[in-house]
Amino acid sequence: MSAPARQNRVTLRKTVISCVLLAVTLLLAVVLMSLVGSEPLPVRASLCALASFGSTTCGLTPDQFDILFQIRLPRILLAAAVGGSLATAGAGYQALLRNPLAEPYLLGISNGAAVGTMIALVFFGANEWTRPLFAFTGALLATLAVYRLARGRAGATPERLILAGVIVTTFLSSVIVFVTTLMDATRIRSFTFWLLGDLSGTTKTMLPVAITIAVAGALTLTLNARSLNLLMLGERDAFDLGVEVGRVRIVVFLVASLLVGSSVAASGSVGYVGLVVPHLARLSLGSDNRISIPAAALGGAVFVIVADTLARTVIAPRELPVGAITALIGAPLFIYLLKRA
Amino acid sequence: MLSRTSLKLLFAFALLLTITACRSVPKSTLDGPVTRTLTDDAGRRVSLPFKVDRVISLAPNLTEIVFAVGGGAQLVGRTSYCDFPPEAKSVAEVSDTLHPSLERVIALKPQVVLISTASQLEVFTQQLQNQNIAVFVTDPHDLDGVFRSIEQVGEILGKKEQAATLVQTLRRRVNAVEQAVKQEQPVRVFYQLSAEPLYTAGRGSFVTDLMRRAGAISVTADLPGDWPKYSSESALAARPDAIILPTGGSMGSGNSAVTEALRQSPAALQGRVYKINDDHLVRPGPRAIDGLEEMARALHPDAFK
Repeated sequence: MSAPARQNRVTLRKTVISCVLLAVTLLLAVVLMSLVGSEPLPVRASLCALASFGSTTCGLTPDQFDILFQIRLPRILLAAAVGGSLATAGAGYQALLRNPLAEPYLLGISNGAAVGTMIALVFFGANEWTRPLFAFTGALLATLAVYRLARGRAGATPERLILAGVIVTTFLSSVIVFVTTLMDATRIRSFTFWLLGDLSGTTKTMLPVAITIAVAGALTLTLNARSLNLLMLGERDAFDLGVEVGRVRIVVFLVASLLVGSSVAASGSVGYVGLVVPHLARLSLGSDNRISIPAAALGGAVFVIVADTLARTVIAPRELPVGAITALIGAPLFIYLLKRA
Repeated sequence: MLSRTSLKLLFAFALLLTITACRSVPKSTLDGPVTRTLTDDAGRRVSLPFKVDRVISLAPNLTEIVFAVGGGAQLVGRTSYCDFPPEAKSVAEVSDTLHPSLERVIALKPQVVLISTASQLEVFTQQLQNQNIAVFVTDPHDLDGVFRSIEQVGEILGKKEQAATLVQTLRRRVNAVEQAVKQEQPVRVFYQLSAEPLYTAGRGSFVTDLMRRAGAISVTADLPGDWPKYSSESALAARPDAIILPTGGSMGSGNSAVTEALRQSPAALQGRVYKINDDHLVRPGPRAIDGLEEMARALHPDAFK
């Protein structure tokens, strides 16, 4: 057996082991966080009902059953989809742009998706299905704008990219302010909450869209992980090694925009997930994208589930926006990561 | 030496600013001496001219109060949300409740500006005071607070008697409602201010008091805050007997559907979902009594036969 083949096999085994472990963690998070909320539910009966996938009530009252399966579980699953999407998108941007700071929220891509969603709602009265499309368009346009702005004569340096992100973010923020002023007063309040990242508006129609996009996106980027590994050597070298740089770039841009678009349409701009989770994945599992991208997808799901559980319990029965929690956890963790690097 | 020149220019400019700042001591827009002080709901002692004939209202409920006490002719400015009574629409607009145009307010030369969202307008209030324009804050948290607002506005506008008569009439209507529902079993209601995200009325909201007087117990009556965001599962677990949807007024068709979490709740299944004109429930003014009557009749139809 040749050395690269053996190494590939080692990588594959490492990928499978870490993904299985993370998937188990994700399952545990879904189950355990379903037991926590503003209304106490009997633990044993809830576990029994969850294990039966809702086919038996296990002695839960109809209200308790509804709380578990109509409110809490859909919200947790949406949190997983949003977290997985954002972390995958972050890992994708970081690999493609060869920049550890690339993150949908910090690059203004989430804002692009938010503008798309707001335009969809205010001017077109969009529903759960068309909203992600508008959000995707907004995210894609913002991505292209950042990418264009970041490419100077000397190529895209990390600093230039972040500056481009700042410019796009601030520009789109003012567009958001502008659209909000056009909105009637009764809707502004719900929008400000949504803009901070909020999962309380979960409806069951959102779920299939968000989960499908999250899973498909994570798989697509994982399948492109080898090319992304080579791209990290630099676009020229990657090209010489046989990577279709142009194609990979388009795939990552489209997929990442779709991931950001669907999560913003569902829950607003939840920040820092795409930054913190891929970083942790790389720190613990190494920078091979074949491992870190699927690991980030699963880890992101766990991260947002836990953050949203905090959001809905710390001041229960009142609620906080989940974006406030992810930023509270994310920003200090990021500073720590920066200092360690 | 560009830098030195620009530095000098900057200094000169700063000096100019200081001088003009000193010179622009606010010119009094008041006629005659300040003859009275009133304490507003923010606990501020507000100095007012004895005779007020130019007032701006920055909230729809205050505009309604101004007209209801017969001070409509004294109103020179209002917000874009002030759409009642119809006569109000012919008064000049000074933008919305949260972003009033300072220039337009000053240009209208009011003696008093009435506001209700005090905490969000601190800077604005300061600027008005610098212009010697009195700012009066109202902040009612129950029906008595609404009556106090009416009396205060009446006193400011020199319509004390009209205000007293109005309050008397309103109190009589409130008493009638309270008498009618006295023997009725209170209904446990959930007040849905908006569905997505779910907002409701908390401890500090005057609607909570309104519901109590209408023969209802709000399931969120003890929640801190005026209009808190509420957990869907808690709403479901509270098992309200009825749901109140403020909608159909300024809201249009907004908020006309029960939040998804409560769609299968007993209240919704039994058809005990009551749509009440939101203008009567979110504006702490005279029409809040209409809201009270509408709620009481919806919740206790037998008591009004």
